[in-house]
Parts: sequence; C-alpha cells; structure tokens
Amino acid sequence: MDPQSTIIMGKAIGAGLAMIGAAGGGIGIGISVGGAVMAMGRNPDHTATIQTNMILGVAFAEAVAIYALVVSLIILFVLS
Amino acid sequence: MNSFWNGKRRFVALLMFLAGVFVALEVPPVIPFIQLPGEKFPEGYNIPFTDIRVTNTMVAALIVWIILLLLIAYIARRRPKDGSEVPPGGFYNMFEALFEGLMGFIGGIAGGRHFRLIFSMFMTIFLVVLIANWMELIPGVDTVGFIHPHVKEKYDADSGEYKVITTDGYEIYQGFLGISYVNGQCDWISPADEAAADQAALLAADEAALAAEQDQLEKAAYARYQAKHDDHGEDDHADEAAADEHADDEHSGDAADTDAVAAARQEALDARTAEKQARRDRGCYTGVATSSWEDGYVEPDKSEKKLIPLHPDPSSEDAKLVPWVVLPFVRVASTDLNMTLTLGIIAFVMIQYVGFKALGIGYLTKFFNFSTLFKSPLGGIDVAVGLLELIGDFAKILSFSFRLLGNIFAGSIVLFVMSFLVPILPWPFFILEFFVGVIQAMVFGLLTAIFMQLATVSHHHDDEHDDADAH
Repeated sequence: MDPQSTIIMGKAIGAGLAMIGAAGGGIGIGISVGGAVMAMGRNPDHTATIQTNMILGVAFAEAVAIYALVVSLIILFVLS
Repeated sequence: MNSFWNGKRRFVALLMFLAGVFVALEVPPVIPFIQLPGEKFPEGYNIPFTDIRVTNTMVAALIVWIILLLLIAYIARRRPKDGSEVPPGGFYNMFEALFEGLMGFIGGIAGGRHFRLIFSMFMTIFLVVLIANWMELIPGVDTVGFIHPHVKEKYDADSGEYKVITTDGYEIYQGFLGISYVNGQCDWISPADEAAADQAALLAADEAALAAEQDQLEKAAYARYQAKHDDHGEDDHADEAAADEHADDEHSGDAADTDAVAAARQEALDARTAEKQARRDRGCYTGVATSSWEDGYVEPDKSEKKLIPLHPDPSSEDAKLVPWVVLPFVRVASTDLNMTLTLGIIAFVMIQYVGFKALGIGYLTKFFNFSTLFKSPLGGIDVAVGLLELIGDFAKILSFSFRLLGNIFAGSIVLFVMSFLVPILPWPFFILEFFVGVIQAMVFGLLTAIFMQLATVSHHHDDEHDDADAH
C-alpha cells in the first residue's frame, strides 16, 4: 500500500474512533431529556423552569460530544 | 404590503423551486472542499496598515458587527422618545417583545444587584452569536468567492526540493452568463496520475498479448504432439521431432509475438487517447500546476515549473492547467476558532470581573482557600477544591469556544453536503440549522449569565452558616 493511502486510512479510522465519544453525549442527553419530560408531566406548572434547566444540561452533555466532533474534524481536515 | 402578497406566495415558492431545478441542472454540484481554519484572501487583501491577510471569517465578523450596529441604530430611532406606551409596531414591536421576554427570563436566573451588567452581557453575546450563526443560511455565503488554484507545495526531505502536490480540486468551467465555477463532474487528475495510468494500460496490454500468445503456442504444440503420436509410435523419435518443432516455433513465434504485442499496445494507447478525449469533451484537462498562493513557508524555487498567474483568465489555456477550488468571500464567523475563542475569553473575563465587583478581593478565596487548612482536619480538601475551581474556570473558555465552533462548523458541513446530495431541496436542513443557531446563541449567552451569577455568590458564608447550624 502506498504511503498516501495509508495516511488517508489512518485519518479515516482515527476520525471514526474519535467519534465514539459522541455516544456519551447521546446517553447524557437522553437521560436528561427523559428526566425533564417526566418532571414536566408531574409538574406542568414548572415547565418553563424545567425546560431551561434541561436545555442547559443538554448543552453541557452535548459539549462533550462536540469535543469528539472537533477532534475528528481536526484529524480529517487539519492534519496533513 | 400584506394584501399584495396574499395568495401569491405559493407562486413565489414555485418560482424558487424552478430556479433551483434550473441551477441544479446548469451548475453541477461540487463535493465541498472543507477547511477548518479561516481561509486567507489572496495577496494584496491585507488589513490596512498591517501585514495580516484578511480571512473570509473576518469579513463575516465585520458584517455581523455592521448588522448589529444598524439594528441598534434602528431600534434607538424607533423607540418612543416621550415614554409613551403605544408601540410603534412592526419589527420594533417584535424586538421589544423578544427583549422583554429575555429580560424576564434572565431576571429569573440572575435577578440581583448585578442584573443590568449580567443582562447586557447576555444580550450582547446572544445577538452577536445569533447573527453570526444565521449567516450560514444566506445563499451565497460559503459558495461564492474567488476561484483559485489549489496547490500545496511541500518540502520533500528525500529529494531535498519542493514538490507540488496536486490531488484535490476540480476543473474550472464557464457556464451560464459567463460565470465561472468549479466543475464537479470531473475530478482533477494530476499529470503523474495520468502518466501512471498510461503505463498501467500498456503493461496490461503487454500481459494480455503475451498470455494470448502463450495460450496459442501451447495449443499448437499440443496439437502437433498429438499428431506425432498418431503417426509414430516410438518415443525418442517423437521427442526429437517435438524439440525440432519447438525450436521452429520459437523462431516464428518471436515475430508473431512482437506483432501481436505492438498491436495490443497500439490498441491500449488508442483507448487511453479516446478516454482522455472524452474527458476533454466534458471540459476536464490535466496539466502541470504551480502558484504562489500559499504563504507561511520558504518561497520555493520555481524556475523550472510553469508559473500560473494568481487569477488567470478562466478562458485562457493557463486556467486548464491547475485544479481549482472556491475560496468563499464570506464564511460564517462562528466556524473560525479565533472568533469563538475570543468570545469565550470575553465571557471568562466578564465572569471574573463581576465576581471581583461583587465580592471584592475576597472573590479569590474561591480559588485559594487556605483559611481552613490548619483549623480543620479536612482543610486540605478545601485547598484542592479551590484549585479544581480554578482549572474549571479556565476550562470554561475551551468549553464555550469548542461548543459553538463544533456545532456551527458541523452545521455548515451538513448544509454543504446536503446541497450536494439534494441540490434542489436542501431546505429541511436549513430549518434545522436555523434552530441550532438560536439554541447555540441562547446557550452561550445563558451559560455566561449563569456563571456570572454564580461568581457573585459567596459560597464561603453559606458554608460557615451551615457549620454554625450543625454545631
């Protein structure tokens, strides 16, 4: 295999592996939204507060997935 | 205005759809050329009085600020001077409703002594990020720009010279109304690749011809062998005769061999020529590429290479010698780490500022908490917690900047890719990105507001109260 293809292969595999981190963000978002929906169902009066806190929590959880995305984007497009 | 558009909007939508179909047919979609750092404009486009080259994300940031200043000027002009309650209506009214809603929202989170500071910080960040994010939805952003030769020159340690790497990019093409664009129908094949393909074709032809020849020889020999066996019964005689025949065969075979191989080679070359011609008919060319586009490395010696002007006339012969990519005039500011990191640092500084403003020098005890070190057996934990808080505060910068960058950069790639896959109807993803833009702007502003609010609260006193209660 020529070096160029090896580099491309390594980049693709590395980017794919880096995106495994997104699974954690997905689990976190699922848990927080699930909890928020349950809370809203029990306590519809506080929907606004719950929603705000949920979006905050989702943003925090998503940030971790986004780190993984940024790492894989850097592997793909910045490393040469 | 309203009555004029009533019932006509569907025709506008239909017209836009037809325009989309026309453009999709006339301008072939191109696989996006993705680059993470902001792309530099060509030489000569410097920031005035400096050597710093303008990037397309800088242009977008400038546009964001212009829009924001225009918005402020408009709102300030339309605002009722006499304090009357009657709203002027229209856009001003909408903005006022939005403003009041957000004010109430932040008041619920950070309503206190420092509400005005926190809210103005929130609203500034929210509006800047929102306008910056929404710019990716405007057609032409990220797609219209300089067409420039994409060549990288790299120092090759083995040979000790600069080599031109030309593997990316597409051919330039002149389409409707003389607008030049990058043609996605044909990948740009470098001269080296072309030569290698020629060699491969010749080799394949040689091998095929030789194999055919071998096959024929074997068949002939077998036939003769069979014939001899039928004629003569004795083995030694047959062997001798076969050897004779074989020598003969070799002799006559050589001539036939070269003939067949030459024919096969000619055929292969003809096929390659036809292939190249077909590519040319589609508007695809190959050639040697160089340019002085990139900077940041030692200028290579270009005496032996053909130099292409930075912006060659698209219809000239020079234009056919290089692979091309589009360098957009405007790229969304949030897709550049410089922009998001700056916003993150501003947010960080404001968080510390409001902390010092509220708690004075005592704010530092949040990070360097030695007060309990010798009083309590667990005092060391407080010190460690304070240091963790310090690291956590700096981590906020990274968290802020990467969250925004990742979301918006990924969003704009989704828009590129969808425009490529479904050139006529990519707009469901535009709606998605519309909401992503709002949510990310909201999250950035909201987190700043919350952290600022947290910084104004002294945990120290609460702890002491708790301790007192416990005792």
